[in-house]
Amino acid sequence: MKYFSFIFVLLITLALGYFASVPIGPAPPMGPLMDPNHGFWQNMYSEDEIAEDEIAIPGLQGTVSVTYDENLIPHIFAQNEEDLYRVQGYVTAQHRLWQMEFQTMAAAGRISEIVGPVALELDRMTRRKGLAYGAELGLAYLKEKDPETLKLVEAYAEGVNAYIDQISSAQLPVEYKILNYRPEKWSGYKSLLLLKYMSDMLVGDRDLEYSNLRKILGEELLNKLFPEFPVDNDPVIEADKVWDFEPIQVSKPDSLNFPNDELVIDPLPQPEEGTGSNNWAVSGKKTKNGYPILANDPHLSLNLPSLWYSMQLSTPGHLVKGATLPGALGVISGFNENIAWGVTNATKDARDWYKITFKDETRGSYKYGESWRDSEFRIEEIQIKGQESYIDTVVYTHYGPVVYDKTFKSERQDINFALKWTVHEGSNEQKTFLMMNKAKNHADYNAALDNYTAPAQNFVFASKSGDIAMRIQGKFAVKWKEQGKFFMDGSDPRMEWKEYIPNAHNPSTLNPERGFVSSANQHPVDPSYPYYVFDNSYEHYRNRRLNNRLREMENITVDDMKALQFDDYYLHAAEALPVMINLLGSYLPNDESAKKYMQELKSWDFYADPNQKGPTLFSSWWSKTYSEIWKEWAEFGVPVVRPSNYQTVKLLKEEPASQIFDWGNSASVETASDHVKKGFELMVEEMKKWEEDEGDYAWANFKRTKIQHLVPQFNSFSVENVYTGGGSGILNATGSRHGASWRMVVELGPEIQAFGIYPGGQSGNPGSKFYANFISKWANGEYLNFNLRKPDDSDASLFITTFVSKP
Amino acid sequence: MKFFGFLILTILIVVFANPFIPYWGVMVALALLAILLNPGNAIAFWGGGLGMGLSWLGLSLYLSIQTGSPLPEKIASIFGVGSGTILIGFTGFLGFLFGAFSSLTGSLFRKITKKRPDNLYRGG
Repeated sequence: MKYFSFIFVLLITLALGYFASVPIGPAPPMGPLMDPNHGFWQNMYSEDEIAEDEIAIPGLQGTVSVTYDENLIPHIFAQNEEDLYRVQGYVTAQHRLWQMEFQTMAAAGRISEIVGPVALELDRMTRRKGLAYGAELGLAYLKEKDPETLKLVEAYAEGVNAYIDQISSAQLPVEYKILNYRPEKWSGYKSLLLLKYMSDMLVGDRDLEYSNLRKILGEELLNKLFPEFPVDNDPVIEADKVWDFEPIQVSKPDSLNFPNDELVIDPLPQPEEGTGSNNWAVSGKKTKNGYPILANDPHLSLNLPSLWYSMQLSTPGHLVKGATLPGALGVISGFNENIAWGVTNATKDARDWYKITFKDETRGSYKYGESWRDSEFRIEEIQIKGQESYIDTVVYTHYGPVVYDKTFKSERQDINFALKWTVHEGSNEQKTFLMMNKAKNHADYNAALDNYTAPAQNFVFASKSGDIAMRIQGKFAVKWKEQGKFFMDGSDPRMEWKEYIPNAHNPSTLNPERGFVSSANQHPVDPSYPYYVFDNSYEHYRNRRLNNRLREMENITVDDMKALQFDDYYLHAAEALPVMINLLGSYLPNDESAKKYMQELKSWDFYADPNQKGPTLFSSWWSKTYSEIWKEWAEFGVPVVRPSNYQTVKLLKEEPASQIFDWGNSASVETASDHVKKGFELMVEEMKKWEEDEGDYAWANFKRTKIQHLVPQFNSFSVENVYTGGGSGILNATGSRHGASWRMVVELGPEIQAFGIYPGGQSGNPGSKFYANFISKWANGEYLNFNLRKPDDSDASLFITTFVSKP
Repeated sequence: MKFFGFLILTILIVVFANPFIPYWGVMVALALLAILLNPGNAIAFWGGGLGMGLSWLGLSLYLSIQTGSPLPEKIASIFGVGSGTILIGFTGFLGFLFGAFSSLTGSLFRKITKKRPDNLYRGG
């Protein structure tokens, strides 16, 4: 009996211990998670409560001091750059380890390792786009051509690893605990991968959709609905800029044919609508204090932990402060004692697709002109949590990887398309930021940018010496007209782009007459620019609002620039609403609500402030009307893009009776006003339902800005229903999931005055009080003081950590 | 008295050893304690269980109050349980199970190995 009870109880105990240590279904092991000494309970500490005075890490040459201000922004003071980036790696990992690793796992197509087979398709897509391949080439490039940068990148990686090596199970970020895995070693390769990932987030192409539209609509209508330059073009580089260089000549070959298949494959995921940015600089002659002021607000997905992490990095040679990307070295958008700079996306159809003609089923060689070229095979092993690995074979041509083929995303068995993209070439973006951080003047800024390839950016610049400048930098192909706008035939060498626009020919401007430079993702240049420029996603509203304001403003102060970043003027509505009301005429559904809505629309001042009802009513009416107008296009059965809001408004205004508005498949003849009426009825229907279900339809309640954790299922780690104004196409571009991911305003006087904010917090830990503490300030248009700190400043600090060498 | 002695010893082990060893290490330690002290099955079960359960409950409660962090509520929401308070209770309950069965195992082991020879020498 004694033996029996012993064995019985022993078994229970073993079972308890065992089942608490393994995942059950989707739930993580309960023992380690709930153990208050090691589990999630330990993640309740905020960083200042577990601060250490001294940390020893291997490889340091001197002592490095890190002062945290009240917002947990670290100010690193190192004696040399190697120490600086080593500690940047360590400190960033301390606060953002899970995020930086998760983002690089996503970039490498390794999410299946963490979450299992649900992510397999995503991982295959990522790998077939060749991001990891590009990062490998980038690393090879550094090894061969730039050992100095490589040394710093490796110092950063060792810094991250020093943290990973000494992290306690208690302080492991809570996401690892819930998802039940552990961090692996960081490497220089991962830092490069992160920069490739940024390219992927910011670059799109519509070759597939344009190819389909070209076939369906014909060239004439396509060009009418999608003109390559809009009538109100207000480009990044001032339109009267004189181009003083001899361009490389390239002309469209005669008798070319684009592949004419109608394609039903899924397009690649595109950067989401609302991804964009503003930046500008005004010269001293337009400002009250006589000093240049620079502003930058990149708009990206609003996520937690925030994409950005603020830091000051200092050596005896330089002090630089601003927004860093966890995982990459240096400051990405910021300022130092002499200059300030910022970035906005400058996409220019950087991805092109070539149809590949393979010799046979083995796909070992493909046609190029009169000869056959050998293809290469890259084996991708995708590890999957709880399953055997998936082996994917990707064929590489000299263009790039064959993304769509018989094994992937293809309903048609005979198509093979290779992706040509600058991301697949060795490049050195990291060096740009390392040099920019130390730049002292306009020449240094230009020298830094010469290393920059992708994703193309509008780099704004201002200096203490009074210069303002803008340069559109990226590696852009020299293309003949419409080259790369549609799918192209890879077997015809004349279809391939071969040369790149020299850096000196990239559009740029220094101290223009108008006294400001600006960019908001619009067309980069006027049609006089001697190279072919095309992209589907150029902005038509923010740029005009911004330039109009900058043109008319004088005696500008820092507060004016902050207000302009937070400007809620809805230019699209201001242009569209009068046209729509006009088209509606005297028609009004006989309904009290309809009358109320119309009254509210008519008395609206076109500002999308959070408490306004006008923007809600307009955005609903517009989106319904827009869907009505282009309803037929949804029935084409193949992926297409629809004309922009700007072109649609233009048609409504100028050609309301145009045949374009008539649905071919209906008996009646539709005009613009039919669609506007139908749109109005649908809007009334939607708003009445909203009022019943949700109540108040003020703009902030309707658009529901959400700052989402990187794992969407962890909803309680997200912040929902942020009360703030703005929207897509508005300078304050805060929509429901996108918006100003970082705002910075810098005045370059004798003492630099700097302000910054982002929707998140310095800590990546959802249990910390520094996790989301900036959000309410950000939502109100407030800023944090971002002034530089000197090593001997005695300003108040949260805590100070000294890093010493560990023997 | 014996019960409180065993309870306090259990609490001391959990408080001082658990920060350095995982929960299953504590389970082994509590089993060893019961083998060493031979407190009897009931005292082992209740003393070990309450000892570890109260330690876990106390620490999670203490951390919640000390930090004021919203994390327990957030974790509770992810796992679909009502509130952070329930998690504190669950943590205590889990600790109780670990402690109770570990100590009982130790105590029963002691009975089959040591006690019988003792009785034999005493002659009955």
